[in-house]
Amino acid sequence: MQEIASLLEKHGYAVVALIVFLEAVGVPVPAALALVAAGAASAWHHLRTEMVLLIALSAMLLGDTILFILGRYSGWALLGFLCRIALNPESCILRSAESFYRRGRTTLMFAKFIPGINSLAPPLAGSMRMGFGQFLRLDFIGASLYTLAYTGFGYLFSGVIVAVAKGAATVGRAVEWLLLIALIGYVSYRAYLYWKHRKYRVVPRVQVAELATTLAAGEVGGVILADVRSHGYYDPGAMRIKGSIRLEPNNLLAAVKDWPRDKKIYLYCT
Amino acid sequence: MREATSARVAHILREQGFDAYVIHGGLRAWNKGGYALEPVPSDDLVLLPTFT
Repeated sequence: MQEIASLLEKHGYAVVALIVFLEAVGVPVPAALALVAAGAASAWHHLRTEMVLLIALSAMLLGDTILFILGRYSGWALLGFLCRIALNPESCILRSAESFYRRGRTTLMFAKFIPGINSLAPPLAGSMRMGFGQFLRLDFIGASLYTLAYTGFGYLFSGVIVAVAKGAATVGRAVEWLLLIALIGYVSYRAYLYWKHRKYRVVPRVQVAELATTLAAGEVGGVILADVRSHGYYDPGAMRIKGSIRLEPNNLLAAVKDWPRDKKIYLYCT
Repeated sequence: MREATSARVAHILREQGFDAYVIHGGLRAWNKGGYALEPVPSDDLVLLPTFT
């Protein structure tokens, strides 16, 4: 907090714009703290309140618009990437899309206040073909609420913030411990995944050149090429290996119940 | 883990008695190798909800 306040005194509006923009595009920086500090600086007449609000709002809308455009042009690949860490990646995309479809408009207005969701909502809106005008209106409301809430808090409680800043060293140590615990948790989770997937590593693999040679040698009738991608089938114009068929991982055993067991099955995902 | 879905599916299929393999590198490696691709048939596309 003290570092942010010091930066604000020296570089003022540029710091507010930079921090808010970075958070809007998904970089984990404390934009809320910067806005609170900027609000306090406004109360102390170091910055002009209307300029802080205007700059923060502009930076946030710019960052959100960039993510919206990325979502629009990357299609479902972005959500597919995010769903790779889910317990069930195959159903994650469908559930997320349906949930956002039902609550997307409300989500856009309040997502700013929820870490993690704040950077996810604009690209989802882009992927789901929300009209740019509608997106901009809803995002403007959300960004205004966020900016006003934190800047207003800093402005109204500027006196309290000085006292809070003095206790920041203690808070900083607590944050360091929390970060360490989060790091240990993350490493443990990766180790668990490695252990959980150990049995999958023994599944035999085939190189693409070897498979292409097999297919070119006329053994097409003796093999089944199956596409098990979780998000390859959501974008019109999606491509797949020639001659392959879709195999839905969520419905696996029912889908293969009539498949011959004497054929080699080659599976691929992204 | 790379090829997580295909490896998991292959493992289950092998447990069911199928002769299943994973294509190393998946679609990306196949495409990079310059081998034949085809568009996903429109009947196979799963249409997710959109705002339009």
